[in-house]
Amino acid sequence: MRPHVFWFLAMAALGQTPIAPTPHATGSPRGENTSGYNVLNSFETGYRWFTLGGNYGKYRSDVNFGNGIRLLGGSLRVNSREGHGRLFDEMSLNTRGLGNDPYQSASLRLEKNRWYRYDMLWRLNEYFNPALPIAGGLHQMDTRRRFQDHDFTLFPQSGFKLFAGYTRNTQTGPALSTVQLFDPRGDEFPLLASIDRRRNEYRLGGEVPLYGFKLNVLRGWDRFEDDTPQRVSLLERGNNPADNTTLSSLRRTEPYQGDSPYWRLTLFRSSRRFALNARYSNVSGRRDFLFDEVAVGTDRINAARNRQILVAGSGSRPVVSGSLNLTLLPSERVTLTHHTSFHNTRMDGSGAYREVENNRTAGTILDFQFLGIRGIQTITDATLKLTNTFGLYGGYHYATRRIRSTQGQRFDNFTDVVRSGQDNRIHSGLGGIRLRPAKGFTIQLDAEIGRADRPFYPISEKNYHAINARAQYRTRAVLLSATTRTLYNNNSVSLFSHSSRSRQYSYDASWSPSSKLSFDAGYSKLHLDTNTGLAFFAASQLIEDERSVYVSNVHAGHLGLRFEIHRRVDLQAGYSMVKDTGDGRSAAAIVAPAPPAGATARQTLLVSQTFPLSFQSPSARLSVRLHNKLRWNAGYQHYGYSEDFFQLTYQNYRAHTGYTSLLWSF
Amino acid sequence: MTLLQITLSLPALLLAQQPNQPSLPQQLSDALAQAKPGGFVGSAVCRTCHPDVWLNFFRNPHYKSLASGKEPPERTGCESCHGPGQDHVAARGGRATIPKAFSIMPPRQILDTCLGCHQKDFSRADIRRSSHSQSEVACASCHSIHRSPVQKYLLAKQQTELCYECHANVRTQFAMPFKHRVNEGFMNCSDCHNPHGSPAPTWRMGLRPRMVTQALGNEEPCLKCHTDKRGPFAFEHPAVRVDGCESCHNPHGSTNAKLLRRPAIFTTCLECHNGAGNFGRQGDGIALQSPTHDMRNPRYQNCTTCHVRIHGSNADRLFLR
Repeated sequence: MRPHVFWFLAMAALGQTPIAPTPHATGSPRGENTSGYNVLNSFETGYRWFTLGGNYGKYRSDVNFGNGIRLLGGSLRVNSREGHGRLFDEMSLNTRGLGNDPYQSASLRLEKNRWYRYDMLWRLNEYFNPALPIAGGLHQMDTRRRFQDHDFTLFPQSGFKLFAGYTRNTQTGPALSTVQLFDPRGDEFPLLASIDRRRNEYRLGGEVPLYGFKLNVLRGWDRFEDDTPQRVSLLERGNNPADNTTLSSLRRTEPYQGDSPYWRLTLFRSSRRFALNARYSNVSGRRDFLFDEVAVGTDRINAARNRQILVAGSGSRPVVSGSLNLTLLPSERVTLTHHTSFHNTRMDGSGAYREVENNRTAGTILDFQFLGIRGIQTITDATLKLTNTFGLYGGYHYATRRIRSTQGQRFDNFTDVVRSGQDNRIHSGLGGIRLRPAKGFTIQLDAEIGRADRPFYPISEKNYHAINARAQYRTRAVLLSATTRTLYNNNSVSLFSHSSRSRQYSYDASWSPSSKLSFDAGYSKLHLDTNTGLAFFAASQLIEDERSVYVSNVHAGHLGLRFEIHRRVDLQAGYSMVKDTGDGRSAAAIVAPAPPAGATARQTLLVSQTFPLSFQSPSARLSVRLHNKLRWNAGYQHYGYSEDFFQLTYQNYRAHTGYTSLLWSF
Repeated sequence: MTLLQITLSLPALLLAQQPNQPSLPQQLSDALAQAKPGGFVGSAVCRTCHPDVWLNFFRNPHYKSLASGKEPPERTGCESCHGPGQDHVAARGGRATIPKAFSIMPPRQILDTCLGCHQKDFSRADIRRSSHSQSEVACASCHSIHRSPVQKYLLAKQQTELCYECHANVRTQFAMPFKHRVNEGFMNCSDCHNPHGSPAPTWRMGLRPRMVTQALGNEEPCLKCHTDKRGPFAFEHPAVRVDGCESCHNPHGSTNAKLLRRPAIFTTCLECHNGAGNFGRQGDGIALQSPTHDMRNPRYQNCTTCHVRIHGSNADRLFLR
């Protein structure tokens, strides 16, 4: 392997997590020749271990590596030497984490020149979320997600192509949720769910030349099924000891299934002076559902309750979108682009809600909801390269959106329908300069300013500006870069204001003077402060003059060093750290989450507006080349999570993880 | 030509490049004499002096043009990208004599050259107006045609490292305790972003995000994996549809659980649900919470304990079930 390619690989691991699999290579980079094919093959297999002190749930949420033997990484590449293989000309298989890692993947490419190409990607994610700050830790998930994508192209190099594809996405596993019973002020109860969701998508399409254009057509059929049952079968007290509500059993089934077939059409044409492409897509989603919940228990006033809720209905959401791109290239130094797009989303849902309480029906409520969003956007950009070292860029963006809403409800002879409509517009301008004062040295400055007349949300962008700057110096051995990004937004109307200020600074350096030594370091600071008007109730009294002030100051750094101790031995060491210092208050100054009696609403909110924590991970790896085709690796990585708020530390943990492996090729 | 033949020809080449030996090796002279119209000499001539490139070129996707044997000279092998090699051979090498030497070409010219073949692909329909093109980040900034250590797409490095070089702030976000598993190798940046540009988003009004790909036809890419949030539901939470998932979540990573923008649930919700005029579905403010909710009580500060179906519900307009 050429030295600089090796440095690339080595650099790829510095300052990153996790440390396994190793990026080192073994064997001959030229591979072995057999039967007209060239074969490159390597596998890394080893044992992972971990020990933990502290919160296991949080560790699983953040890191989740366990003990056991793994196929940490695998790579197989077979190429025909002359490009005329019998069944295929290229086969490429890569795997990662197989054998029980929480993040596993495998990708395969199989290709026969001019005839076909097949791509497969399979992934598995063990997703665990204790969600302690959410719903008091009662929204947990311990699920397994599996994804697979298959794409097949017939005649990939010809003007006439055919596509076929299949995607499957499943999520299964236990979860914990909550249900609130039996009236709007009733207690909440934990609810067990067995998640069972599946999505299957089939695709068929083609590409043909048409009157000087390329026409690309894709038709897809998407099927989603959610059959997650939920139940409680033991006598439960709710979350709030002062509440008398009890639940002795609950059973809920809610099959939710439907299709989202779609069309996508693209027309394309280009020449030396212009390029044109038009795109249209239409997704017509529809889901049908049944909801059946039977709950038995007692309510807040100790009255026996036996309630069944039955809901049946459907939702549909056709989304139509299109865009037209026109690019003009009047000279070698000028590029003009214009993009016009539209989208039209029409969501409507209806349901019949029926409640049977202690064998008496309370009647049926019919609900209807409609939300229509129609948007048109135009973006015009110009790029001008004045000299080889100086360029300009500018653009204008205009978008208009119409939102129409209908919310209707009917109960017996009473009908309530609320209809509304509104138009939003946004104008924004962009500009920037590009400088190349010296070889390998680039400077970019960008600015964007935008004005919206009627944003949808109090925190949406209304009057905003963004300034970005980047300087980068790059040679074969050195990379130095500095970046700053600023985004300020002010969304104020009468009697309400929201401001958001985000400033980000990043500095990175890497140095690879030789194949025996490389160094990588970086520091970033991400600052965000927002100030938003709040209105809420406290003791049934409306508080309107409060504000939500959120301050986050994230300091992050990473260091990596790799050097060759001996011609057969490589050592890598890395350290990454993320620390949010919040608004600068020390942990001791932050009171407990439950404010003392008589605390004002402002005191109540302040305790939650800063979230100081630190998350750090030092690591080291030793890699020894035992033989030309064999490497032995050993690595260690520490994860430390520490929270400094509320004077509570129940989510903190310190984990020691490591692995030892053999990387071999044959 | 076999490896042995190339090795044997190297001494002759080295001698030929000595200043006191002005004549070309015989095989190159012959190649020049047999050059096709336009100055195309064929890839066999290139490999005489560039055996390191040639040795592994059969693994390169661009090798197809050679293997085919049916492409015209300007679309075959080395000269399909670098241009006719006659002058380069006659001058005995040198970057200045290569019609298209990517290491010294301006970004726009690199883009034009690569798009000569690659522009027709659907995923590159927006490349001319992408932020990368406007920032003069051309193809060769991320792709290494001859020395790619990555098996797919000829990337110059592993994808995440490549992106982190310029997007250091994103590296920080993926190093946070709550994040999508990009550093772990489970995902790639291109699962959600199209580095070659994407059309204006259908799920919000502003320009940002500018490089987020559309999935499932024309929807936000988050829904590709988080299928249960896609709907349609009988009762949609308009925040998801009108301004997208980013209304509440930081998609890369966050110090807050569930990638939320705020550490506490109730501030996430109340910053919109404050009744301030002009906003929301009806244009008269987004609904306040019920007067029965005493926000001093921690019970009411965890909104999603009761409003569990916050992304959309089929059974309750307040997302309670």
